[in-house]
Amino acid sequence: MSMVYINIFLAFTMSLMGLLMYRSHLMSSLLCLEGMMLSLFIMMTVAVLNNHFTLASMTPIILLVFAACEAALGLSLLVMVSNTYGTDYVQNLNLLQC
Amino acid sequence: MNLFTSLILTAMFILLLPIIMSNTRLYKNNLYPHYVKTTISYAFTISMIPAMMFISSGQEAVISNWHWLSIQTLKLSLSFKMDYFSIIFIPVALFVTWSIMEFSMWYMHSDPYINRFFKYLLMFLITMMILVTANNLFQLFIGWEGVGIMSFLLIGWWYGRTDANTAALQAILYNRIGDVGFIMTMAWFLTNSNAWDFQQIFITQHENLNIPLLGLLLAATGKSAQFGLHPWLPSAMEGPTPVSALLHSSTMVVAGVFLLIRFHPLMEQNKTMQTLTLCLGAITTLFTAICALTQNDIKKIVAFSTSSQLGLMIVTIGINQPYLAFLHICTHAFFKAMLFMCSGSIIHSLNDEQDIRKMGGLYKPMPFTTTSLIIGSLALTGMPFLTGFYSKDLIIETANTSYTNAWALLITLIATSLTAAYSTRIMFFVLLEQPRFNTLNLINENNTYLINSIKRLLIGSIFAGYLISYNIPPTTIPQMTMPHYLKLTALAVTITGFILALELNLAAKNLKFMYPSNLFKFSNLLGYFPIVMHRLPSKMSLTMSQKSASMLLDMIWLENVLPKSISYFQMKMSTTVSNQKGLVKLYFLSFMITLTLSLILLNSHEWLP
Repeated sequence: MSMVYINIFLAFTMSLMGLLMYRSHLMSSLLCLEGMMLSLFIMMTVAVLNNHFTLASMTPIILLVFAACEAALGLSLLVMVSNTYGTDYVQNLNLLQC
Repeated sequence: MNLFTSLILTAMFILLLPIIMSNTRLYKNNLYPHYVKTTISYAFTISMIPAMMFISSGQEAVISNWHWLSIQTLKLSLSFKMDYFSIIFIPVALFVTWSIMEFSMWYMHSDPYINRFFKYLLMFLITMMILVTANNLFQLFIGWEGVGIMSFLLIGWWYGRTDANTAALQAILYNRIGDVGFIMTMAWFLTNSNAWDFQQIFITQHENLNIPLLGLLLAATGKSAQFGLHPWLPSAMEGPTPVSALLHSSTMVVAGVFLLIRFHPLMEQNKTMQTLTLCLGAITTLFTAICALTQNDIKKIVAFSTSSQLGLMIVTIGINQPYLAFLHICTHAFFKAMLFMCSGSIIHSLNDEQDIRKMGGLYKPMPFTTTSLIIGSLALTGMPFLTGFYSKDLIIETANTSYTNAWALLITLIATSLTAAYSTRIMFFVLLEQPRFNTLNLINENNTYLINSIKRLLIGSIFAGYLISYNIPPTTIPQMTMPHYLKLTALAVTITGFILALELNLAAKNLKFMYPSNLFKFSNLLGYFPIVMHRLPSKMSLTMSQKSASMLLDMIWLENVLPKSISYFQMKMSTTVSNQKGLVKLYFLSFMITLTLSLILLNSHEWLP
């Protein structure tokens, strides 16, 4: 593979690590989720443009739409947790109540 | 002959003069009541002349003055119908009003707005005259509404009192329900015979007159306080006694009966309407007589007595005798107004005490009032050869000999005996026995106005029946031939009522008052009719509208059906189904380790040497 793709793939992997390993704030995992979405977007755009694959030109846009939806969902969950507990510490989610 | 129409119009115009003068200095005078009283006495004298002309020659007249407006093909003009009914009613009404005006000069003496009171009474009289002499339905409606408005203003005369305002409002509302019937009749006549003139309505032949006659019956029910629309009449006793005497005994409440009498050519042919009228009148007269038996306020007893007599008039129309009903209207006016005036005299003397349980032994201190009360009650119950006898006995005899509903007839007879019963009750509690009132009252009935007015009506109560019956032209009153027992029915039931009531009163005089039985409560609370009908329909309609508007539309459809139900179900489901414990970091870490391990394992054949 060329250097560009490896670079972007590395960015994706970093964000994934950040999503799966965080200390206390739920917000940091949401930010890393956004980072993953961003790197995927860049990879798809670069691939389409380099290979002149015009039929797939709308794929990045669709990816953005779905990313926005899931970001909204993630934020609403964050707001729910924050409403109940005042902070978004992830250790609060132990108490088995919604 | 020549002066017939001029004199009628002069009499009407004289009545208008004090109203016209009410913007001038005359109104602010304290002789204004005298002027009004004298005006009415002059109008009475002048109106007697056309009455005499009518009696001697049978001449009737229709005065059509002024073309008012034409709405496409309907021509409305100002027309006065001077026929048998109007010509005889006008002098009677003016005579009674003259006496009442003189009485209220004594009764309302200390009222600062006495001039306005007299003006209102006079305006009421004028609208009643308009009603009685109307030749088309529109003018009658003007008079009809006019008496309703003046009744409202006069019942609520002491408007600082909540009960008076409620009673005035009640009168307006119940009358309005009757007006709906009147307007329905007017609309039917407008669309089906294109006229509001009586002559044209009576000449054209209609097929089915049920609808307009039902409308007229509803109007009469509202205005004359028949069963179903009756509670306003006892409540109207919140007004001053002259108002009760004029409006709610002789003049306004007979407007409904008068309307039905005016339409007698149409009612003659319709058997259904006659049956309905008969049954309605019979129910009214019995129900109100029952209610009158246990009331404790002297004015309410007389009000129920009026209502019962009105039911009797409606019964008379139901057996197809409009002339008899009219005769009863005229004779009833005399003694009922006098009864009210006597109760006014008693009330004023006892310092505004209206409860008969707190009166007693008044036959010594107030001899004149006692006399007139007794004569009025005897005339009311139909004692032979007093005024009431000439109309009431004739009614009972006609009902006995006519081919009619036996149940209605029986009820009317029972109500007649109850009339005697409650009259005895009034006389017993008010006049006889030992006094039960406060000893510091100054009982004085020695005022010229009071004595003269009651004296005039007293002479009327004794002689007017005879004078009217023997001077009127022949009418449709049938020849009375019947066996002895039918002839004496009315007298027998009346005497039964008297004796029964007297015995009961004397026997129960010194007994302890027991807890009221159910029958007593039924009678005292007016058959529970006002209590139920004033609260239940309004509460039900308000509750229903609140439930449908706020509960149904807002809270159920907009709020609960989709949004809240979805969120509730989802939460319930997820808590039931999930068995996780929320250890998010552990789950994420295990995911990462699994991912890394699998990547290394699957690619190990390339990375290891």
